[in-house]
Amino acid sequence: MNEHVVRLEGAGRSFGASTALTGVDLTIRAGERVAVLGASGAGKSTLLALLNGSLQPSEGSVELFGAATAGLPARTRRGLQRRVGTVSQGLDLIEQVRVLHNVNAGRLAEWGTPRALASLVWPHPDERALGALEAVGLGWAVHERTERLSGGERQRVAIARLLIQRPDLVLADEPVASLDPTRAAEVLGLLGRATDSRGTLVVTLHQPQLARDHCTRAIGLREGRLVFDTPIADLASHLLDELYARA
Amino acid sequence: MTDLVEVARHDRDPTAGPDRAGRPPSSCRVTGRQVALRRGAGALIVLLPLTWALQRALPQGGDIVNRGGVPLIGDLLGKAWSPRLDGEFLEVVVDAAVTTLAFAALGTAGALVIGLLGGLVLSDVAWARRPPWPVRTVRTGLRGALVAIRSIHELVWALLLVSVLGLDPLVAVLAIALPFGAQTAQVFGDTFDALPTRALRALRDAGAPAAPAVAFALLPPAGPLMLSYAFYRFECAVRSTVLLGAVGVGGLGQELVVSLSSRNWDEVWTLVAAVIVLSAVVDAWSGRLRTDMAVASCSEWSAGDAGGAAGTGGRRPGSRWARWSAIAAAPGLVVAWFASGVSLSGLTSERTRMLAGRLLDDLVPPALPRGGAGEVTAAVLDTLAMAVLAMAIAVLITLVVSPWAVAVRRGTGPPGGLAMRSLRWISWLVARIVLLVLRSVPPTVWAVIALLALFPGVLPGALALGVYTGGVLGRLVAESWESVSPAPREALVRTGVPGAVATVAAVVPASAQQLVTFTLYRFEICVRETAVVGIVGAAGLGRLLAENLNFFRFPVVMTLLIASFAVSVASEVASRRLRRAIRA
Ligand SMILES: Nc1ncnc2c1ncn2[C@@H]1O[C@H](COP(=O)(O)OP(=O)(O)O)[C@@H](O)[C@H]1O
Ligand SMILES: [Mg+2]
Repeated sequence: MNEHVVRLEGAGRSFGASTALTGVDLTIRAGERVAVLGASGAGKSTLLALLNGSLQPSEGSVELFGAATAGLPARTRRGLQRRVGTVSQGLDLIEQVRVLHNVNAGRLAEWGTPRALASLVWPHPDERALGALEAVGLGWAVHERTERLSGGERQRVAIARLLIQRPDLVLADEPVASLDPTRAAEVLGLLGRATDSRGTLVVTLHQPQLARDHCTRAIGLREGRLVFDTPIADLASHLLDELYARA
Repeated sequence: MTDLVEVARHDRDPTAGPDRAGRPPSSCRVTGRQVALRRGAGALIVLLPLTWALQRALPQGGDIVNRGGVPLIGDLLGKAWSPRLDGEFLEVVVDAAVTTLAFAALGTAGALVIGLLGGLVLSDVAWARRPPWPVRTVRTGLRGALVAIRSIHELVWALLLVSVLGLDPLVAVLAIALPFGAQTAQVFGDTFDALPTRALRALRDAGAPAAPAVAFALLPPAGPLMLSYAFYRFECAVRSTVLLGAVGVGGLGQELVVSLSSRNWDEVWTLVAAVIVLSAVVDAWSGRLRTDMAVASCSEWSAGDAGGAAGTGGRRPGSRWARWSAIAAAPGLVVAWFASGVSLSGLTSERTRMLAGRLLDDLVPPALPRGGAGEVTAAVLDTLAMAVLAMAIAVLITLVVSPWAVAVRRGTGPPGGLAMRSLRWISWLVARIVLLVLRSVPPTVWAVIALLALFPGVLPGALALGVYTGGVLGRLVAESWESVSPAPREALVRTGVPGAVATVAAVVPASAQQLVTFTLYRFEICVRETAVVGIVGAAGLGRLLAENLNFFRFPVVMTLLIASFAVSVASEVASRRLRRAIRA
């Protein structure tokens, strides 16, 4: 249970002259559920992008599952990326296809090219795909067109895609930003269950109460710097005040 | 490792079920069988017409290739590197280009006047409340008339007008202004209806008379949209004016037809180059105007979605480019008037009045051609087969060329060094030029070339129309592909999916939908444009129409016009239905 899923050492990322994230030291172990807190523009999305490899750090180093992500051969990097599942802010669903295709998108990497291509033409709704959809309450929507679902339903499709990918690390960027409180608790519950046992969760949030209910650890970002890193029990209100205070 | 799905399923929160989500009424559930059926139906809708059209185009036993004509194609190609460039001929070319531009400008101006008036009558905004019944009756009549007017191709209009006015420059202007005006009225009417009406209400409530109130409240918000539409129309008008050359009303198109029929290939190449340059310049100008005003892309206009964009606001009020274009329009029109030699006297002359009276008299009652109803039916079927095949050719061209014609996104682009990047850039440029050439050379010219090597019939017509439509469709589709979001593909790549698989999985569905939508939309237009290749001798209703007009058999012409109208309305309805069905 003590293996490092993520290790950042002095990691940061700049875009031209502006620094989105800088000097972050962070180690996350298997099974942890980490809430990332911070105002808009604090660098939360940038942090997640460093973790799933869609951005390379411009300073320091990022290690995933014990391997540095920079300069890996493509095959090895793909192997690592397969173990990371992301629900991004935009959901990144393929709008024009049936829901089933979007769920299967979670295992295209696992399937390998020929089977993946075949599934695009003829997707068999097997046990695992149906199970994932039922788990998020969308058992009825297997053959719906994705773009015809409501915002909340589309979000649950993205979670079903995550379930079927079976990642060791789940990254969720503001998964509940646009949901009412009941729905928000539901979605975090699903993400929590998706990461049961050895799975690890990193989720960016704006509501401290949800962090307290669903996470084991909280980190705070402010203007691209890590300002606190604490077990969830110690998440005190003065820490939060500092996070959202105006500069 | 734990199967997360299993875990999630087993201790699934009973409250998280579909009932909690407030969904779904059983009626909207889609089953796997329905999806399979839809796919089957889709395949049939593509394959059945295609095999039928192919069978019709390739008659058994008959010769298709005209062996005598093949060397002519060789001669034509051989002259590609030695176009005629002497001063005397260049003067002719420049003169013809000016004439073409002048006709196009005057035709567009006429279309805008018709469009503005028609749009006001068609839209609800100009009326304080529900308009009184005489207005509504007139409106219904007008709507029908506009549909009928725009269902007749500008080249057919030109043919009809020539038989009344003779070879008067006015023919070119009216042939553009009438069908374009009908289309414009529709677009402007929708645009006005999409505008927020609060300002207008306020003015009317304050007692302002109708006309100034409408001018003050509608023109500022609708102005940029209308201006960019005007230039888009001008762009189309330039192409159409070149087409009109086939009936002999002057400009580049007529020079092209003359050079083609006298087989002066070196002149053909010079003229083709002039046509391409002219359309490229006008395209670039009006394209720049559209992006500057961020109003609508060409593809939005063409798909008829732009009216909806009017109410959304958030547009820039007009760049310097747009302002200068608008300011240049008025003196430009005056110059065009004198350059084209148009005069209105032709409209009121004794001869015109007599001929018009005779034409109108002769049109009713309609009569069948010599070959009877069978000849009309055959022509209708030829027209449809030609349109189907042309679309198939256009889609093939699009599939081959358009992927390269999509602009490379800044910042992303393919990985790899400068060499890869410049290669990608060069292939983009080549693809855009290919599409530009295909759509700038008028379909009449493609048809004349096809008719050199093939016997008249469906096949040369379909080829000519297909090549031209390929250029139009390819550009529309490439532009629409530029707006396909890269995010889903990137998300797949991020989970370790190989790039090619990710492209097929995430980019192809979105791209395919755009392609299908535009193909169906272009099919409507293609049906109408079969008249063009028919008139130069390919096949279909256009050919029959031209033959009968030549012999002044106006009652037969009337029958053929009605048949064209029916075919065009039917294909429009079918294409609309299919487009709607696709979105379900
Ligand atoms: N691709 C990018 N290019 C330029 N600046 C960026 C980019 N992505 C993020 N930034 C900047 O980095 C900062 C942090 O952004 P982000 O990580 O998205 O914050 P958060 O998710 O906490 O709202 C912001 O100031 C943002 O403008
Ligand atoms: Mg963010």
